[in-house]
Amino acid sequence: MSDLRISSVLRGAKIKIFVNGKGCTAYEGETVHAALLAAGYRLLRKTPKTDQPRGIFCGMGVCYDCLVAINGTPNQRACMARVEDRMEIEVDEQ
Amino acid sequence: MGRTQTDVVIIGAGIIGSSIAYHLARLKLRVILLERCDIASGSSGACDGLVFLQSKKPGINLQLAMESRKRFDLLARQLPVPIEYKATGGMVVIETEAELTAMRQFVAQQRESGLDVTLLDGDQARKIAPHLSEHILGATYSPLDGQVNPMSLTFGFAMGAKALGARVITGAAVRGIDITAGKVSAVETEAGRFETDIVINAAGAHAPEIGALVGLGIPIRPRRGQIIVTEACPPILKHCLISAKYIAAKFNPEIAKTGGDGVSIEQTDSGNFLLGSTREFVGFDKRTTTDGLHRIADKTAGIIPALKQVNVIRAFAGLRPYTPDGLPILGPVDAVPGFFMAAGHEGDGIALSPITGELIAQMIATGKRDISLDDFRLSRFADKGQKIEVSNV
Amino acid sequence: MNNKYHVIIVGSGLAGLAAADILSRYGVHILVIDDNAHTGGQLLRKQPYAGRGSKRFEPDRLKRHGARLAARLQKDNVQILNGTQVLGIYPEHTLLIEDSRRNVSEYRADSLIIATGARERQLPFKGWTLPGVMSTGAAQILMKSSGILPGRKTLIGGCGPLLLALAAEILASRGHVLAVLDQGSTTMKLKAISAGPAIWPKLFEGATYLARLAAARVSVQQRVRIVEARGRQHLEEVIVADVDADGRIVRGTERSYPTDTLAVGYGFSPNIELPQQAGCAVKFSNAKGGWYVAVDDTMTSTVADIYAVGETTGIAGAGKSIVEGRIAAWTILNKQGAVDWPTYETKTRPLTRQRSRQVRYGRFLNQLCRPQPDCYADILDETMVCRCEEITIGEVRRQLNNGFTTMNAIKRATRCGMGHCQGRTCGPILFDIISTFTQRPPAAVGCASARAPVKTVSLGALAQMTVNSGDDHEGRSHG
Repeated sequence: MSDLRISSVLRGAKIKIFVNGKGCTAYEGETVHAALLAAGYRLLRKTPKTDQPRGIFCGMGVCYDCLVAINGTPNQRACMARVEDRMEIEVDEQ
Repeated sequence: MGRTQTDVVIIGAGIIGSSIAYHLARLKLRVILLERCDIASGSSGACDGLVFLQSKKPGINLQLAMESRKRFDLLARQLPVPIEYKATGGMVVIETEAELTAMRQFVAQQRESGLDVTLLDGDQARKIAPHLSEHILGATYSPLDGQVNPMSLTFGFAMGAKALGARVITGAAVRGIDITAGKVSAVETEAGRFETDIVINAAGAHAPEIGALVGLGIPIRPRRGQIIVTEACPPILKHCLISAKYIAAKFNPEIAKTGGDGVSIEQTDSGNFLLGSTREFVGFDKRTTTDGLHRIADKTAGIIPALKQVNVIRAFAGLRPYTPDGLPILGPVDAVPGFFMAAGHEGDGIALSPITGELIAQMIATGKRDISLDDFRLSRFADKGQKIEVSNV
Repeated sequence: MNNKYHVIIVGSGLAGLAAADILSRYGVHILVIDDNAHTGGQLLRKQPYAGRGSKRFEPDRLKRHGARLAARLQKDNVQILNGTQVLGIYPEHTLLIEDSRRNVSEYRADSLIIATGARERQLPFKGWTLPGVMSTGAAQILMKSSGILPGRKTLIGGCGPLLLALAAEILASRGHVLAVLDQGSTTMKLKAISAGPAIWPKLFEGATYLARLAAARVSVQQRVRIVEARGRQHLEEVIVADVDADGRIVRGTERSYPTDTLAVGYGFSPNIELPQQAGCAVKFSNAKGGWYVAVDDTMTSTVADIYAVGETTGIAGAGKSIVEGRIAAWTILNKQGAVDWPTYETKTRPLTRQRSRQVRYGRFLNQLCRPQPDCYADILDETMVCRCEEITIGEVRRQLNNGFTTMNAIKRATRCGMGHCQGRTCGPILFDIISTFTQRPPAAVGCASARAPVKTVSLGALAQMTVNSGDDHEGRSHG
């Protein structure tokens, strides 16, 4: 789904991030949630009680739906974190 | 407003009042449970759910707690709301040599009172609770300790009472209590007047305000306990735990001064950790403080270091009803016939709610009681030289 | 510790920036705190690496002004902490904060300006929790901050004129918009004339959006409601239907849009948690978007030396935010003696006039964004209302019938509002549901109380914080 990136936008340096161990492209300056969406990861987690799939909802750090593990730390809001080179992200199994 | 006649009016729909209402309704008495705000809107909705026997003073307090604990399984089946009671077993973690010495003595006393409790060394403790810090010297363990959801339990009692015919009226602050010919005759509230011969003061930290309505001085003070709530986590803590300092601080004010507050750690059914707690006399201030948050965080993360990574999602403070001798005030008040006390449980309210409800209900319905409540009467403070005024009403 | 300032401003959106701009001219030592990595709040989001080639003309002159304010803020007496959240405010204006390196510490100020902005409101429908269903704000932020489209073909739904702005932005970014579906009516919008002169620039803006959408042949429909979002692991299909004047679904008009992206928005709600925790009184008004911080004409809250400005005191958009930020700045300068009374009067009289115009515009905006109060009845029982704790609206209805009819009672009886977001998402929805059910006034339904920490923070950070004893005499003292 890399065609979600808007072509007219100038981006920062191209970097590599790992999602569930699999490498994919991102650009410095992007938020983690945006990079995940562009890489095709819509489902970010499954809820603990009823196993519902969740992804991006409010995009501004209020709703806590977009929780992923970043570099080993669980329950981080993907929309409030910026990608960094070699960042390791864990999302729930699709 | 309307006049209503009933057998018993209970003031306060916290855990104690709701339990009494339930037990009275089971005995077929007509009950009105009055609450000035909402069910469990006071300390019963701002506390942890530990049902701990190990923290009770050996003697009447422990005896009462052991009886109370036996009722939880039955209540879990009877009440209309799932109360999440689990006999998880509980640990008292020991961090210093001084605590170890004190706990050895304490365990001996407890076992004498009939409590099933064992002293474990550090390795044994870490075997049953793998996330305990390396510095823990040991722990005492009792399989009888457990935890419950205090809010659910309060709702369970109140809804259970309602289902058995009790009336639960919220938003009904009590304005006055009528005395006729020296006896209780009615309760005046914002929601009407209720005629009754029996009034039960189950208003927790606000019990003195109700007592003042009939000229009684009640030595209950609010003691603030701040609690931290974390996000839900996968189950890592099977046994709820408290620190030895908690027990020491409770019974030895000297240790309380230097050791400060105690520590309690509980992982609820939904996976959240409840981390407590401060013990502060700050009047009715329910705010959480930087210092309180810091102290609780520091101590609990010290005991279970893995908690450092867990997110705190909120914190709250409950005003627990403290009495000078650490025992609740239960039973009839001879100076005001018809007026009963059922308040002052401080941090033991949840654990003692089943037995309190049962004994008070029994006393009122049948005049008998299985366990003597003499040690808990209000007049014990007067006997010890504390003034209790009774003005002419 | 050198953590003391004359003024601390929480929030670097337009309101905070406007206040900082004026204060900084008078040598006031200011700290501006924002939890975002960028400065400028929700409205001023630009791509971090936007170069010459991608700069588009910003049609909104208030946003252009805001961008200038942000640029002007690079001064010696202004410190900005990004990626920093305020956990609580304590007496004598001590703030407990967590900075971008996850260190928790205390800061103090003589005056506080709370400019914490707003969050989006939602109207639940079955399946609204599926990945692919996001708020209009989320869609905007993806494009503005990271240069990524929300989806290949986006369906836009909800209530109010902001839906058009999103559609226009997607088109400008070469994305596709399936349709724009507004639950409100055209008649309501035509009443715009009564909203006063503050609305004219907005009308012009709206007209340009409509023109762009028409040129791209994007259907814009009124009185259409999102009924259900369907899909297994993510959104696959959206069911919509016509509604009557009460927002009730007209049976038989259901139709389907296959898509994997739906952006929905139903107006905004003020972020009041921090000022509430600080002890500021809040009031309720639908004309202001819900519960808001009560302030007087000088922008002072009910707590001395704590000012509230912008969307926090009532949703009304950029214009009001800038004006209120300015008023608060002048009030502080006058109080601190930097500006005399006649100057204060001269500066604030026109601002106060502008403020009433903006408030009037805000009333109208909130009317347009607000779903009809009776429309909740159509929401199916199995629909989630508290997303964090996974509580359904059916459970809420059950407890309402059990007699739990205040916000706090419902919270206790259902656990709604006890999850990560602490009721920020479900709170406004629950309030509407309880109000409609009980028909009681707002004060009777109530507002959930807020305690510190008002944002999540790791236990480790709280354990490690340095608790200051409070230094008054180091470094920046006023004079």
